[in-house]
Amino acid sequence: MAASEITVKLDRVTKSFGEFTAVKELSLDVRAGRVFGLLGPNGAGKTTTIRMIVNITAPDSGSILLFGQKLDPRVQDRIGYLPEERGLYRRMRISDQLRFFAELRNFRGKAVEAKVDEWLARVKLSEWKNKRSMELSKGMQQKIQFITSVIHDPDLLILDEPFSGLDPINVELLKEIVLDLKRAGKTIIFSTHQMEVAEKICDDICLLNRSQKVFEGSLREIKRSFGRNSVAVRCEGGDGVLDDPALVSKVVRHADEAQALLAAGADAQVLLKRLIDSGAVIGKFEMVEPSLNDIFITKVTEPA
Amino acid sequence: MRKFLTVVKREYVQRVRAKMFIVSTILLPLVMSLFGIVPAIILGIKTPPLRVAVVDRTGKMFGQLRQSFANEQSEDAASGNTNDRRDISRLAAGDFRFEEVSAGDRSDEQIRADLDQRLRAREIDGYIILAPDFLTTGKTEFFNRNPGDVFSRGRLVSALNRALRQQRLIEANVDSRTREGLFEPVQVQAVKIGAGGRERDSGESFALVFGVGFVMYIAILMYGQIVLGAVIEEKETRIAEILFSSVKPFTLMMGKLVGVSLVALTQLTIWGLAFSVFALYGAGVLASRGISANIPNIPFSQYIYFGLFFLLGYFVYATIYALVGSMVTTAQEGGQLAVPIVLILVVSFYVFFPVSRAPDSTFSFWVSMIPLSAPIAMLVRIVTQTPPFWQIALSLLIGFGSVLAIMWVAARVYRVGMLMYGKRASIPEALRWVRQA
Repeated sequence: MAASEITVKLDRVTKSFGEFTAVKELSLDVRAGRVFGLLGPNGAGKTTTIRMIVNITAPDSGSILLFGQKLDPRVQDRIGYLPEERGLYRRMRISDQLRFFAELRNFRGKAVEAKVDEWLARVKLSEWKNKRSMELSKGMQQKIQFITSVIHDPDLLILDEPFSGLDPINVELLKEIVLDLKRAGKTIIFSTHQMEVAEKICDDICLLNRSQKVFEGSLREIKRSFGRNSVAVRCEGGDGVLDDPALVSKVVRHADEAQALLAAGADAQVLLKRLIDSGAVIGKFEMVEPSLNDIFITKVTEPA
Repeated sequence: MRKFLTVVKREYVQRVRAKMFIVSTILLPLVMSLFGIVPAIILGIKTPPLRVAVVDRTGKMFGQLRQSFANEQSEDAASGNTNDRRDISRLAAGDFRFEEVSAGDRSDEQIRADLDQRLRAREIDGYIILAPDFLTTGKTEFFNRNPGDVFSRGRLVSALNRALRQQRLIEANVDSRTREGLFEPVQVQAVKIGAGGRERDSGESFALVFGVGFVMYIAILMYGQIVLGAVIEEKETRIAEILFSSVKPFTLMMGKLVGVSLVALTQLTIWGLAFSVFALYGAGVLASRGISANIPNIPFSQYIYFGLFFLLGYFVYATIYALVGSMVTTAQEGGQLAVPIVLILVVSFYVFFPVSRAPDSTFSFWVSMIPLSAPIAMLVRIVTQTPPFWQIALSLLIGFGSVLAIMWVAARVYRVGMLMYGKRASIPEALRWVRQA
């Protein structure tokens, strides 16, 4: 793959704060026009990594290239950043705030006004344009914060936990916008620990744990490498079968169905036969891919 | 640079447009002038004159007492002192209306019983009985219903005093011309020796110096707190992180300091203009109503010095405030940590008094060189007894040099502190941030 198609390239980047190493020898390639999920538990080093990409902190060692160049103010203006810790000026009118954030990215002039209107309409907050942000609900403020990161039409958008605290309707709305931006050729780095969300929109993922990369690659490949070793079962009776450690290593029971992770070397066909033999009435028996959540938990709890 | 201007513009426009700015611009001068005018008005409220009955057994004093009150007015005018303390007590004291009660051949007891009754009936407010030997003993008693009115009693006593002295001189056969001469009050006129020669001065320049020092103190305090609040707001609302991804922390901090300083200069200019307008027209209006308000003539250079030293004071204190703001997590914490700064500022305001008394002392020299106290101390020196130019220049040089040093330190604490959420940074921690490149 050509270097020009890599939007962000981290090469053996290390950052420590005193004794504590937040990011260790991290190398990453974020490909242009894709949604890149930066995943990991709290304290894994996601925010530190992002802060280095947006030039808030400098790495102790290693190099970071954006659009094939070293960081400089002009490159910085091509980034849109929505941090996890974010806010708005309480007493400032929404339109003034958006213009301020646009100007800080060197996006000025008449065009800003049109963009402000366009984005407010898109997140359905047009009538709030001249209100002060303290008059808005938390969810509305969050949508405004989202606009501050995209108002200047950045080529690289970095979103740190963008959906936390939003209701499902607004999550859906923002998700659509993110996917639209991807279709428009923007590169998106998406940091979260909500795996269900990441699973739905990420093309590539990188899992960080304890300051280091656990794995990186496309979501498809990762899922494939884990194989289809999970079965969703809905049945009446036959409970004992699912608890046989020779067949099933782990069972998670939901309200009306159970998810069984097959034991190493066990065959799903054998499990199905055993269930039928035990007289269970089977409503559903389906081979499923492991969810990203399962992969995440497996990887993170795996001894290093 | 353009981003710096964006930050400056936001700070300026948002603040100048705020109601708070408009209110404080109008209100502060109003409050300050109220402090000056209201007491005078209240003290000047006319109360009905006190009716005092005088039983004059000497047969000579009643006339003198009346005369003494009549002379009081003209004496004040002659002394040229309009500001001294006596004036205030005069305003606070009531007027008197005397009534001579002839003793006839009644005894003191009878007269007192009679007058007590009239006192209770509220026909009179008090009485004095002057014994026949009053001229030698000088002792008497003032019977009244309201002994708490010390001002009126004081006025009565001093009038009686003058009357007694006058009468004693008459008894000693001193002729009337000599007597008048003896009572002629001294006339002291303060004359300021300035670079431009001699100028009359009757206390206005003290008021001016005090006013200037006070405005300086209030403005530095107020705008320092505004910077503190602005920094804490960006930290508390977590705007800092978005900002830091597009502007350098140093640019942001400087933009904030400069933006707020422009707001301050705008407000001070409005006040300065309002004062000048008042000086030109208001004083004339007041004078036409008989209120003397000598507005001192302020040379233009002093406005410039005021501006320069205000900026010095502002940047010294506001930068420290910005540093403190980035270390704390809430406005309350900020208020606590800012207490020592306020104390230093208060102390450097009180330095005003020794400096205005001896503007060219060694003490005055040093306090006008230390950046924390220089803004007020040097300005007081300039207004009272302008020091050599090299001293002013040196003070500004040391001051602005220190400002740069403080900014360097503050910027280092700021860029780390602004992204530290959760707990207040300790001083050793902040020092470590300063050492880290």
